[in-house]
Amino acid sequence: MEKPANEKAKWEAQVEKTLKRFPERKENFHTSSTIPVERLYGTEEENYELGFPGEFPYLRGIQPTMYRSRLWTMRQYAGFGSATETNKRFRYLLDQGQTGLSVAFDLPTQIGYDSDDVMSEGEVGKVGVAIDTLADMERLLDEIPLDKVSTSMTINAPAAVLLCMYIAVGEKQGVPSEKLTGTIQNDILKEYIARGTYIFPPKPSMRLITNIFEYCQKNLPKFNTISISGYHIREAGSNAVQEVAFTLANGMAYVEAAMESGLDVDSFAPRLAFFFNAHNNFFEEIAKFRAARRIWAKIMKERYNAKDPKSWKLRFHTQTGGSTLTAQQPDNNIVRVTMQALAAVLGGTQSLHTNSRDEALALPTEDSARIALRTQQIIAHESGVADTVDPLGGSYYVEALTDEIEEQVMKYIERIQKYGGAVQAIEEGYMQREIHQNAYETQKRIENGEEIIVGLNKFKLEEELNPELLKVDEALGKEQIENLEQVRSERNQSDVNRHLQELRNQAKDPNANLIPYILEAVRNYASIGEICNVLRKEFGEYTGS
Amino acid sequence: MEKIRILIAKPGLDGHDRGALVIAQAMRDHGMEVIYTGLRQSPVQIATAAIQEDVDIIGLSSLSGAHNTLFPKVIEELEKRNAGDIPVIAGGVIPNEDIPFLLEKGIKRIFTSGSSTEEMARYIKGLLRPDELATPPKKIAHIGIAVHKIEDALPFYTDGLGLVVESIEEVESEGVKIAFLKVGETRIELLEPLYESSPIQGFLDKKGEGIHHIAFEVDDIHPRITQLKHKGVKLINEEPKSGAHQSEIAFIHPKSTHGVLVELCQQAKGSEE
Repeated sequence: MEKPANEKAKWEAQVEKTLKRFPERKENFHTSSTIPVERLYGTEEENYELGFPGEFPYLRGIQPTMYRSRLWTMRQYAGFGSATETNKRFRYLLDQGQTGLSVAFDLPTQIGYDSDDVMSEGEVGKVGVAIDTLADMERLLDEIPLDKVSTSMTINAPAAVLLCMYIAVGEKQGVPSEKLTGTIQNDILKEYIARGTYIFPPKPSMRLITNIFEYCQKNLPKFNTISISGYHIREAGSNAVQEVAFTLANGMAYVEAAMESGLDVDSFAPRLAFFFNAHNNFFEEIAKFRAARRIWAKIMKERYNAKDPKSWKLRFHTQTGGSTLTAQQPDNNIVRVTMQALAAVLGGTQSLHTNSRDEALALPTEDSARIALRTQQIIAHESGVADTVDPLGGSYYVEALTDEIEEQVMKYIERIQKYGGAVQAIEEGYMQREIHQNAYETQKRIENGEEIIVGLNKFKLEEELNPELLKVDEALGKEQIENLEQVRSERNQSDVNRHLQELRNQAKDPNANLIPYILEAVRNYASIGEICNVLRKEFGEYTGS
Repeated sequence: MEKIRILIAKPGLDGHDRGALVIAQAMRDHGMEVIYTGLRQSPVQIATAAIQEDVDIIGLSSLSGAHNTLFPKVIEELEKRNAGDIPVIAGGVIPNEDIPFLLEKGIKRIFTSGSSTEEMARYIKGLLRPDELATPPKKIAHIGIAVHKIEDALPFYTDGLGLVVESIEEVESEGVKIAFLKVGETRIELLEPLYESSPIQGFLDKKGEGIHHIAFEVDDIHPRITQLKHKGVKLINEEPKSGAHQSEIAFIHPKSTHGVLVELCQQAKGSEE
């Protein structure tokens, strides 16, 4: 291939056009010694080899100016107890200038059980907010303008139900679904591999996901329909290469399922989002994010023939590594989170959640949650790392790691393709075994002192301090059940029965899109457990591999 | 002896099974038969499985905050089925303040975040096979010699034998000043009393200078002490106490050892020599 001259000048001219729409945060960026900071560094040769930010294959970032125009979104995952309590916290966060919400649901909601189900005992409101019916969702989003606020929901197996509740609340606020913005996690494959909140077997689960893609393309064009997650794969014990490989392999499975159902790749691919972890090995993490971007761009363009550049861009959220936190000397975790967050920023993340120091012990207290947010703010406003695009691009070490990670990831992806794709590899337990093996090796290295965890197997304290922890009110479960009983007594039961029956009929037809039927049931205050039980009966339940 | 059978169970809806799976494999590597229930088990299911599988012990894992509700339920369901004698241990994300409640409800022991699988295996073996000696002491950690004055005693060991002094420390709480001299894998400890009421002074008054104690290095100090207690051995420390460099130590009375004060010591995991 011949090397075109003046690539950078061409790129700069292109950037000038974008700047008219998205101006940079400052007219001039400079260091503390008034040395001017350029938008992009690199020789003509390096730029040619690595490619420019905002251009295929996006190694250096998905936007041309990255954080010089807009900082990443600081999106802290929150929620516990009742809808009313969480709503208060959300409104406080919005008052503080936060523009996006991130909802944590409790386990019964995530697995499609009502709060009064026998399976829900002890779990109601514990790891997130409890949602049974539209009435809870109305309370959760009370006085929050859904046309202005984007909402990320960590919901997978019953994602369709929660999405419909969100649409229904929008309707009541007078916000049409076309205007709704946000993300549903909706990534069932990693639930089988690593996170455990599955309900149905893979095939009907993939159908529900494809139904959502199709419905949203027509009705919620601004909504991210899935957040393909490596986060939990890493937490379950994988290494960085496996995290990227298994996540992208899952992404490919979703793309293929949607294409097989007849959707055009460019109609849904621009709404796919990703979610990665940030652990401690600083440069490897940075290289990992960069490699993931380049691999995905190539896969979408070359393997699936996507034509829209938006389909090539890997946009991702990052959360710092929960499993790297220690219960011992919890304040040390602030330092770990800082390094991890910095790696995510240097890797070009679109949004970031920083963990709180006390999360190895309980849900965070308000003090701990504030320090976690401040950590991001200090990186954004004091460190200067956001003032130039991809500051580590061209580093011998980082580029070598990026290339090596890409190569190893591709080997894994080819191996998974030999199984027949991610779904088959999961059904045969391949990814689970790889992750577990790595988790066990890690534990052994920590126990024999080969891997040092400060405060855990070295530099220990004779006596640990007992920090103050957050307690979830045990009375909440009862209150939630009473609310649910009240909703059941006030709703029109025959309407509910009719819509559930209609959903059951449609579920039998593999070609039907179920979202409109779920939406009707939700509007009539059918509960999440009732809806999921209908589908359990038709689809069966996944019982582990 | 038959293999220990352990049921590893995940009560409730929590999907975090990394810990449970790692422990299952580690206990297998320690020679136990492991039955893993998989996710989302109700207390009734766990109790029934434990009885059907005829296990010796149950390990529960929860990271979702439901432990105070679900762990005691497992004990209740076992008791209802006349299987209350199966010991239950547990782990996960469990705040320290919840531990007394859970112990009171009948959980035998809680292993919180950061516990080692070695420690757990030793605990289980100590609990279920108290008469089975795990591994013999690895080496003699040190030999303690009581002296009136370290500076008078040192020349023989350094100039005479050619040993090198590693360090000289004062341990105020024990009333002793100690000189460490390395000999291959073991050490000589010269012990000098710091004040009149020091136990070393008592020894010197009674017996004069000479060998004060021998320390054996072990890696299972907790179950070993329990075992010795069962055998009627007279212990000076019935619970290990902390020694130098985060080690755990316990003394055995000379009456049970035919005249020698014996110390058991266990180095901290991952600690430097």
